[in-house]
Amino acid sequence: MSEHIDDILASARAAVAAAPPTGDPAYARYCHELAALLAEHWPTVLKANADDVAHAEQRGLPPVLLDRLRLTDAHLDQLRRLTATVHAELAEVTAPGPGVPIGDWGVRRRAPKPLGVVFMVFEARPTVTVEGALLPVAVGNAVLLRGGKEIARTNAALAAVAREALEAAGLPAHLVTVLDDPDRRQLRALLKRPDAVDVLVPRGSPSLIDYCRGASSIPVIASGGGVNHVYVHRSADLTLAAEAALDSKLPEPTACNTAELMLVDESVAAGFVAEVVAAAERDGRPVTVRLDARVPRPEGEGEGHCWRVEALQEHDFGREFLDATIGVYPVAGLDEAVAHIRRYGSAHTEGVIAADTAVAEEFTRRVDAAAIVVNGSLRLHDGPTLGLGSEISISTGRMHVRGPVTLGALITHSWVVEARGTLRSSVPAPRS
Amino acid sequence: MLTGLDRAAVTESVKRVVIAESRLSLQPSDIADHEPLSGEMLRVNSLGFVGMLVLLEDELDIVLPDDLFVGRSFHTVQDLIEVVLAGAEVSR
Repeated sequence: MSEHIDDILASARAAVAAAPPTGDPAYARYCHELAALLAEHWPTVLKANADDVAHAEQRGLPPVLLDRLRLTDAHLDQLRRLTATVHAELAEVTAPGPGVPIGDWGVRRRAPKPLGVVFMVFEARPTVTVEGALLPVAVGNAVLLRGGKEIARTNAALAAVAREALEAAGLPAHLVTVLDDPDRRQLRALLKRPDAVDVLVPRGSPSLIDYCRGASSIPVIASGGGVNHVYVHRSADLTLAAEAALDSKLPEPTACNTAELMLVDESVAAGFVAEVVAAAERDGRPVTVRLDARVPRPEGEGEGHCWRVEALQEHDFGREFLDATIGVYPVAGLDEAVAHIRRYGSAHTEGVIAADTAVAEEFTRRVDAAAIVVNGSLRLHDGPTLGLGSEISISTGRMHVRGPVTLGALITHSWVVEARGTLRSSVPAPRS
Repeated sequence: MLTGLDRAAVTESVKRVVIAESRLSLQPSDIADHEPLSGEMLRVNSLGFVGMLVLLEDELDIVLPDDLFVGRSFHTVQDLIEVVLAGAEVSR
């Protein structure tokens, strides 16, 4: 196995070396070819995917998980849009920095460079395979993609498409390698190769991300999951607070930027819950509210409603519900809300709803997260929506990149120093 | 045959892993053996098994069979503990 891994790593490294510089027109061609070839080969991809789904069904995977494996024509549309967006972003992201004069002797500028060999580990979402074959590669990286064995056939079909697109664009085929060995020894062995892998991007279950973080010394770009809160101050417009709560959760309950627990000032907690259930009822949006015992239960509870109320438990603190459930916990004020977030939050996305601007400002000063949303939905936290560009994940790390992991986060740079013959000994020492 | 200490270690590790997988801030002692794997408290599904397997293998210093979870039905933490104990025994 070690020889095979050495071969994989050597091929990926050689592909980075052989690839044209970041910003070369070949990468734009790759985006175009990938979109065209995905469309051309989509029936083959769907056939492979149908085999994967059938196999998973035979193994007894429940419908909700089968849905995660299944590709449809809607996914093709989504992936083609992504390739178009990445294509449009490339020129700006990969442009060399402007020359900046250094004293009277030279000029410095940044030149974009790839991170190198990127190892993406993920589970059973076939769209991630394409995202992984697109974003890192479009800026000059080689990528190793290890997806779940549940989508092995789909990934093999997608790998063939990516390789064909690379060759059509004039890029080395080994810029994309889909690892097809489900043996966990291969995963462990690759995680022990910081000499050959430059960055690790795990996407998937908490156990997988924890393992990658703990078992490897390769720099990791990872989301630590989204244990996210919204603090509702007594000055808040409660209608806005309720809408923000529902929009922060219901459209995509398992996403990492959803709200889990609303921390609501005691004096407005009952009014807030009444607004939440009224808004859910009005639009027929099913939601479960896990309510602390100190807050009166809303009137009209019972059969025939799209909402229901359950008791909030202590074990709900610091958890992601991963379904259409929102917790409501009354707090004495900003101090208690901040203390709760510091103890239980995952530093992913936090929010505050307050008409009092001083409160909102104090919240943003004291809370530390990849994004802090003031008077809005937590789901605004994603690269395209924030105008930051396409993203491959949202990072909760503190180094290199925090928040949306965009194309710009998948490159580094060289400082190019135009010295015009200057020697260090001739440059005056900087004043201390 | 595994010793009582092994069973305790497996129980502790399995509970630690299902807590992490369910994104809970609890201790292993907070989880009952009969707690459902997919219920009000825990949220464990088979797509997270790769991460769980490698964590368990590292924690327990064992190698578990690839097909450990295939064709088995388990509903509680206790079921998972028994599966891992059986897998650990087979691997020895």
